[in-house]
Amino acid sequence: MTLDIETLVDLYRDMWLIRAFEFGLEREFKKGNVPGMLHTGVGQEATQAALAAHLKATDAFFPDHRCHGINALAEEKHQGDGERIMAELFGRATGVCSGKGGSLHSANPKVGNFGDNAVEGSYMATVLGVALAYQMRGQPSVACCIIGDGTVGRGEFHESLNMAAIWKLPVLYACVNNGYAISMPVGKGHASADIVDLARGYGMPCVIVDGNDIELAYAEVQKAIDYIRAGNGPYFLEFKTWRWQGLFSGEFRPAEEVKYWKEDRDPIKLAREKILAQGKLAAEDLERIEAEVKAQIEEWIDFAKASPMPDPAKATADVYVGWEAAS
Amino acid sequence: MTQSATRTRTFVQALNEALDIAMARDPNVYMLGEDIGEMGGDFGVTRGLWAKYGDARVRDTPLSEAAIIGTSVGSAMLGMRPVAEIMFADFIGECYDQLVNNAAKMHYMFDGQFKAPIVVRTACGGGFGGGPHHSQSVEGWFLNVPGIVLVAPSTPADAKGLLLASIENDNPIIFLEHKALYRIKGDVPEGYYTTPLRKAAVARAGSDVTVVATMKMVHEALAAAAELEKEGVSVEVIDLRTIRPYDAETVLESVRKTGRAVVANEAPRIGGLAAELSATIGEECFHDLKAPVARVAGLDTPIPFSLVLEKYILPGKEQVIASIRSVMK
Repeated sequence: MTLDIETLVDLYRDMWLIRAFEFGLEREFKKGNVPGMLHTGVGQEATQAALAAHLKATDAFFPDHRCHGINALAEEKHQGDGERIMAELFGRATGVCSGKGGSLHSANPKVGNFGDNAVEGSYMATVLGVALAYQMRGQPSVACCIIGDGTVGRGEFHESLNMAAIWKLPVLYACVNNGYAISMPVGKGHASADIVDLARGYGMPCVIVDGNDIELAYAEVQKAIDYIRAGNGPYFLEFKTWRWQGLFSGEFRPAEEVKYWKEDRDPIKLAREKILAQGKLAAEDLERIEAEVKAQIEEWIDFAKASPMPDPAKATADVYVGWEAAS
Repeated sequence: MTQSATRTRTFVQALNEALDIAMARDPNVYMLGEDIGEMGGDFGVTRGLWAKYGDARVRDTPLSEAAIIGTSVGSAMLGMRPVAEIMFADFIGECYDQLVNNAAKMHYMFDGQFKAPIVVRTACGGGFGGGPHHSQSVEGWFLNVPGIVLVAPSTPADAKGLLLASIENDNPIIFLEHKALYRIKGDVPEGYYTTPLRKAAVARAGSDVTVVATMKMVHEALAAAAELEKEGVSVEVIDLRTIRPYDAETVLESVRKTGRAVVANEAPRIGGLAAELSATIGEECFHDLKAPVARVAGLDTPIPFSLVLEKYILPGKEQVIASIRSVMK
């Protein structure tokens, strides 16, 4: 399939935004400017860009463990303030959660970001309630639950798919199968290396998508969302992809596997080839886009660094709604 | 509380009235849980409500406690007012993560952008041979969780008023219903009213010793007080009603007055509510105390099945009396 050039170029820009964001963040993390832990989504940009392209601010998404990119994209698309995700990761007062959430706990309901949760799978239960509220109110929104392959090991995976199926809830399950749960290969950790095999029993459409092909990913997300919005119930997409980030201790995967995914299957490189094949843009046009996005990310990093730290008094605020903390 | 006519109702009927009133008042209120629909719940608390409000608002679920609480939280993020039933409090381990890491932290970690106004009704407590997995008092499992509210009524009137207040409150609330109280009767006002959260009640006024208790232990403490009155000991019984965050002011005021404190809960002694109360009273009232604070609690064991064994480990009136005597020495 072929996407029109405008859409394809927009997606190319989005993918670069994710990659530049993650690389910039990683650089600052290594310098000690970003506290906590770092899980980057480099290599998985096509999946995130495809989802972000179709989700509206009136939909909900629960981002996965490598979610900085889609969080920033959602901010940028709906409010034009992607830098607030960067600031959040720097623990600054200007972040989307004023520095209280950080990586893995960033949310902004105004852009449909219902919050990541560092306990893998936890929000697979939460997404049911968001979808149920849409259903009970007759609101044609989609609740998208982005998970990794590792998440499938959790009991909530099965509770969630079952309940979404019996109640025909408007849930899009987007499983980003990058081959490994930290170090555990997907085929070793689960009864099938194809997650759809585990989902199929719940009676919803289950589709494997090449998660590194932006055109396919975009089209499959569109199809799934159309199906859900029409009131047909949940839909399960499994994106086959690969994460560039190894372990904190270094690369653990075979050299030929690394080479294959980084060189032959790089989603940005593949998108670039598709664009150039249409003959409407030149290589220099794409390089300009790349440079613009990288400059934008540097501005976001500067913004984050220049932002004030939160007032320490915030640490005891909002433990309860309407009540002071107990002590 | 409004001044309205009262009738005699059981604890279960009072809860049922509260749910009915809440459902009628607010279309955002709905219920979900195992067998709460046509069957009316394992203890009959939701009886008749499915027929009145239908499938969409009285939702039977599979045995999926994590999904029950997750669904509650997710819908509450969008302004719904779910009332979930976890059939036995012992099963709450199945949804512990949902409560502790999601419901309790949602408002805080997302900087106030979301609220999780859920009520989780659950049947707790022992004394009927339910064995290790149908008898526990779980409040201690949540005492160390900022953001969670624990409500624990001891009378039918409070059961109704506290449940209505809980459903209206914007925080995630675990509403503990002690099974031994389900069939007790009491005066219950008609119609809508709320009983304030975070406000303890003086269940019996006295001047020599303060007993702070919750749920069934309130009744054990009242029975102990009645017996000791014959010996000339005046016992004040404080019914905590909200366990977290609790009404320290009422507790401390009473202890400052009496100079003696017994704290009573059914759960195991170590790390429980009685321990928390004892520490706070010790810190705040040290110079008012005529004796060390005494704890009444379950023994530090799982709950055994055989009634003889269960009776041995769960506290009752006799343990309260013994503790009062010890602080009166």
